[in-house]
Amino acid sequence: MFKATASSGSGALRTGVLSLPNRQAIKTPHYLALASRGAIPHLTQDNVVKHTGIRGAYMAAEDFVEKGTPILNYNPPDGTSRLRAYTATPDNHVLILGARRSPPVPSPGASTDSHMSIMTAFGFTKLQDKTFRDLTTSLNPDIVVGLGDIPYGYYKVSYKKIDKITNRTAKWMQAHVDERALAKKEHGAGLPLLYAPLLPISAESQRYYVDHLEDMAQDIQGLAIYNTITLGDLPGHLKHLPRLGLTEPNNPRAVLQDVAQGIDVLTLPFLSGITDAGVALDFQFPVSVSIPEEPLPLGVNMWDTKHATDVSALRKDCPCYACTNHHRAFLQHLLSAKEMLAWVLLQIHNHQIMDEFFAGIRQSIDRGTLEQDIADFERVYQPELPESNGRGPRLRGYQFKSEGPNERKRNSAPFTVYKANPDKSDKIAQKDSVPVPGPDAIAEDLEKVGFAEKTE
Amino acid sequence: HSALTYQPVARCSVTKARAATLQLPHGPVPLPIFMPVATQASLKGLTPHQLDETSCRLCLNNTYHLGLKPGQATLDAIGGAHKLQSWPHNILTDSGGFQMVSLLELATVTEQGVRFLSPHDRSPMLLTPEHSISLQNSIGSDIIMQLDDVIATTSPDHARIKEAMHRSIRWLDRCIDAHKNSATQNLFCIIQGGLDLELRKECCEEMVKRDTPGIAIGGLSGGEAKEEYCKVVTTCTDLLPDHKPRYVMGVGYPEDLVVSVALGADMFDCVWPTRTARFGNAITSTGVLNLRHASYSADFSAVDPDCKCTICRPVSAGGLGLTRAYIHHVAAKETAGAHLLSIHNVHYLLDLMRRIREAIIADTYPQFLRGYFSTLYAGDKTKYPAWIVEALRGVNVDLMVD
Ligand SMILES: [Zn+2]
Ligand SMILES: [Zn+2]
Repeated sequence: MFKATASSGSGALRTGVLSLPNRQAIKTPHYLALASRGAIPHLTQDNVVKHTGIRGAYMAAEDFVEKGTPILNYNPPDGTSRLRAYTATPDNHVLILGARRSPPVPSPGASTDSHMSIMTAFGFTKLQDKTFRDLTTSLNPDIVVGLGDIPYGYYKVSYKKIDKITNRTAKWMQAHVDERALAKKEHGAGLPLLYAPLLPISAESQRYYVDHLEDMAQDIQGLAIYNTITLGDLPGHLKHLPRLGLTEPNNPRAVLQDVAQGIDVLTLPFLSGITDAGVALDFQFPVSVSIPEEPLPLGVNMWDTKHATDVSALRKDCPCYACTNHHRAFLQHLLSAKEMLAWVLLQIHNHQIMDEFFAGIRQSIDRGTLEQDIADFERVYQPELPESNGRGPRLRGYQFKSEGPNERKRNSAPFTVYKANPDKSDKIAQKDSVPVPGPDAIAEDLEKVGFAEKTE
Repeated sequence: HSALTYQPVARCSVTKARAATLQLPHGPVPLPIFMPVATQASLKGLTPHQLDETSCRLCLNNTYHLGLKPGQATLDAIGGAHKLQSWPHNILTDSGGFQMVSLLELATVTEQGVRFLSPHDRSPMLLTPEHSISLQNSIGSDIIMQLDDVIATTSPDHARIKEAMHRSIRWLDRCIDAHKNSATQNLFCIIQGGLDLELRKECCEEMVKRDTPGIAIGGLSGGEAKEEYCKVVTTCTDLLPDHKPRYVMGVGYPEDLVVSVALGADMFDCVWPTRTARFGNAITSTGVLNLRHASYSADFSAVDPDCKCTICRPVSAGGLGLTRAYIHHVAAKETAGAHLLSIHNVHYLLDLMRRIREAIIADTYPQFLRGYFSTLYAGDKTKYPAWIVEALRGVNVDLMVD
């Protein structure tokens, strides 16, 4: 299932291979695409297969729960997994299902021993723990992230609360494991793998639950990590398990830090965000350039009208579909015309950059140079992703940006984090250099681009 | 002065339907044909490869929109619309005049051209036939349209309709003079004349004399009664030469296509299939389904079980095997939902035209018509719209008699 191929020193850092029957093996560290309602944002399923290197996706059960949860009535041909067939996820992709999106919309209601609060297309609702377990069996993904009472968005969790969420998560996981034992007796194999969620606190703080997990070891095939702080004191009996990161890193630097602390497979919520912003990622890891005087941006803002007649690729020599078939001028045009194809092409390109990023990370770990490579990366590139002044595609009603009450504490970075000069990094948002002719353009602009003439 | 060849393939022995192959600068196009509208050089979230896969070989771009964005200077710098959007097949552009008149409230038509106020600073501007052709020359489309004086056919002002018809002829002459690329781009004239069949006849006669590579029938699909629409189309096709393509502008409902082909028209365009996809509507052989309706949330059949598009084809046949329930699940919630339905809708209409063409070649178009409407209305002849029955009787097919 999961095999660590190399680890570095005494830390948790390692490369490995996650292989599931009939699925393409995933070399780790790697990332999973994040699906929304079963679709990777902007990408139709045929484009995912033909034009991306995506190997797997994370989906949220809350995206499929609604009145009567109609997906449960679906009986796909040939006995394929319900979720896989319903969402037309390719056969060789790894499909992971958790209760909530990553990141989830914070729900107003607290969990109880028998339910947690989830966000559906029809608003917040209660998901019973039993309902969730039945749902995962019925949807039949490759991997299920067990139900955990994750205190999303909290920086500090009180002792009283730690007690509660630890007990509750242990109870939910125990129930899940017991049910699976029963189901296996009745129907034989064929259940999804079960990953145990670890609470976003140190392993020691959730010891009661972690000890429980040792008893369940037979039926736990992986861990879901919500904060790398948990990896700092992870007990030996859990170390061999693959670690799925639902840590919500918000830029490539944060990805590197999460990986450095031992995450094997990550979800990257920033990826769709940067696509929606109209930015084509453009960076390398490990870096192959010398340290510049000013840190380089991590991507190119395609809204900038300086690209309007630029027929070069989004990134020079990029092998992705967008770059081999289209040019910057088209992207700039599509964005300013608010054409949906802009985000399709950017999403394809940005996933390509992620494929390369993680390939670079694996090389770096295998060579034993990750620490130095991260230091160089932080010297060469700006810390934050570029911002754009352009507007993304029209947001649908339920796609709130999730903002927790306060930022979660992460493990302190194991490797140096270089602070960029704040005065310099502010210049990222570029001013439009050429007037954009649009429905609100003035007559001179229209004339300038050759559209009609001014008569007075 | 033509960059196309019209190769006749077959004629229906009963109706006026024709099958042909139109050789255009960017490859052959089967006629009759439906042309999807990629307004701003992109078809609603589809990649050019996905559009290619629907079997589309000729799509539309709108001159008005491309003239605003990216603009003529940029188009010249890039080398035209094919290069802008990486589309290896054919493109047809309109003149920009219709959209200007319909999108800009204060646009007025004078002998010089279309006068309008810049939407932002309200300074007066003018789009002439020469501008329109120059823009379309920069776009580099395989078929370009003359600037015409578009009046709603429903206008009660007969004198104005007559003036518009005559002006459109004068503007055609100016467009022909202004056209710089007749070796690579085909200029089509546009027949005007409202619903007045005498005006239409006069316009046909005058414009046919100008001998453009193709001929469009304009000013329709603006809310006129369908009976009137059919009369205009059939009157014009009677007068148009056999060896040139005939394009009826702005038509895209499946039943309109099926009838118009019987009346002798070859080419059609409409934004409807992609626009309606955005609202969750799927075109099927049994009518248009709004998949956003709750009744589809547990409907696990294909969008159209007979459809061979990427969305509907089962996994075992190399498709995605998506269900109505899944489209319901993502419609209006994920952009990909609209993309999926656009693929289906465009494929559906192109495939409809393919089936029409096959029926014409087999000389079974009358049977095709009977089968088509029988399926659409579930065999209930009382539901057949009178205008369809009437129009088809005019070309010797009586749907009411088996
Ligand atoms: Zn690329
Ligand atoms: Zn279909």
